[in-house]
Amino acid sequence: MELHSDETLWYFFKKGESSAFAVLFKKYYPQLHVYGIKISNAPNLTEDCLQNFFVQLFEEREKRGTIKNLKAYLFVSFKRSLIKHLKKNQDNVPISETQLFKSNFTISAEEICMHQEIQFLCTKTLHDLINQLSPRQKEVIYLKYYSEMTTSDIAEVMDMNYQSVQNILQKAMTKLRLASQNQQIKSILKKS
Amino acid sequence: MNKKHNFNLHYLLENASFVNWAKGLNKNDMEYWNNWIADHPQHIELVESAKAILIGIRFEPQFPDAQKVDKALAKILPKLRLATIGAVNNKKFLPLKRVITLLTAAVVLFLLSWTGLSLFNNYNTTVHKTNFGEIIDLKLSDGTTVVLNGNSEISYKKDNPRLLYLKGEAYFKVKSIPSTDAKFWVLTNDLKVEVLGTQFHVNTRKKNTKVVLDEGSIHLEFKNGDVTKMIPGELVSFSIDTEKVVHKKVTRETPFALWRGGTYTFNEIPLKEVMSNLEFTYGIQVKYESEKLKEIPISGGIPNQNLKICIAAIEKATDTRIIHTGNTILIQENIIN
Repeated sequence: MELHSDETLWYFFKKGESSAFAVLFKKYYPQLHVYGIKISNAPNLTEDCLQNFFVQLFEEREKRGTIKNLKAYLFVSFKRSLIKHLKKNQDNVPISETQLFKSNFTISAEEICMHQEIQFLCTKTLHDLINQLSPRQKEVIYLKYYSEMTTSDIAEVMDMNYQSVQNILQKAMTKLRLASQNQQIKSILKKS
Repeated sequence: MNKKHNFNLHYLLENASFVNWAKGLNKNDMEYWNNWIADHPQHIELVESAKAILIGIRFEPQFPDAQKVDKALAKILPKLRLATIGAVNNKKFLPLKRVITLLTAAVVLFLLSWTGLSLFNNYNTTVHKTNFGEIIDLKLSDGTTVVLNGNSEISYKKDNPRLLYLKGEAYFKVKSIPSTDAKFWVLTNDLKVEVLGTQFHVNTRKKNTKVVLDEGSIHLEFKNGDVTKMIPGELVSFSIDTEKVVHKKVTRETPFALWRGGTYTFNEIPLKEVMSNLEFTYGIQVKYESEKLKEIPISGGIPNQNLKICIAAIEKATDTRIIHTGNTILIQENIIN
């Protein structure tokens, strides 16, 4: 049983309870922090932006209605405000969201668990393989397994329909599987 | 799987039995799907994709630590006070916590009654029932052992033997599945037991539920919404009617009555308690010649499979005369003394 379900949290947050604010902040700050750095590749800027985001969320809490899915809502609103901020800071050089994801969104080797349950995913090069995926595939994989979101959450965050998210997920996992198998076969052939 | 066009990725991801196969959770499902794959090699790619999606990639998230989060929180809290004067008030902290608990309690109650209705009243349910005086040993498909005492019943959905409903009395030895941390639940009218892998005893006779934990650790969720944790050697009883909770350590001094693998163990338990255990197990009715007979304390183990042996043992332990006719038992003082 979760004492602080998102529904009750949001209810008290909207009423302006400071303790609800603290609980919500502690619950989502870490996840949004990492997600933001993936998008911006700039830790300091992300931190400032995220803190402003929480202040704004609180100040404008009455404007926001009942929210069905708090996690997805926070991810999508923070992503929007971060990208807006990034665009402002890029001195006159217009930059698109896709470009941002293409250049910044990477997974490091430390972020991969040493033990993978699917045996054909080769841990050593898994982060390389993930980084070679398309920006959308990377984001889906990240939201699904790093941020532990459901497919419908992801659909909300990425502004896509459920079926498209599932297709991207399937393609990404198949790519990873096959690439990982190929690498394993290559390394076996090299040894012999 | 008769209609071919129904068979797609979405179907597999939503199919509980397939999920069990992919995660290696249920032997029956694993056998079924292994056979199915052997019969349908053309679908192997789709099956592998679905399996990969279900299991996924394990990340080692690099979240900022608690200290950093607290620092960030401390940094922005003053900004909020400016924005909302008067809204931040220490007094409000306590009521909030209480209301949250109340709200979650309501949610839990609702969920429990919902699972009770939908899970156990349908055709996919497996039921094991014992007659009076009958004891059965059960091995569930996930490896869990259940010893079901007489006049008791467990039921569960075929695809999920780790969530079962108990009426009566049973001893559980739950098989833990460390790779997935799969939990095991026992529901009764009064509470829910949540387990990872352990040995414990549950009794729902007498309008309350009694749980004794032998090994491991378990969570209890009472139907009034309260939760508690148990450690080995503890006894908890709860009744939804009275909302009375007893939580104590089983020591040599505490009176308790336990049934385990065919023996009742009593520790300074009055005769009337002992006999009411037998009433439930054998479906008999007990009468006493005088009130004071009801209070004679009994300690020790009494074999439970055979009513005759059981009665003889109680006669000896309490120095009484017990007359057994049909479904009635009459307890008298031993006049020979």
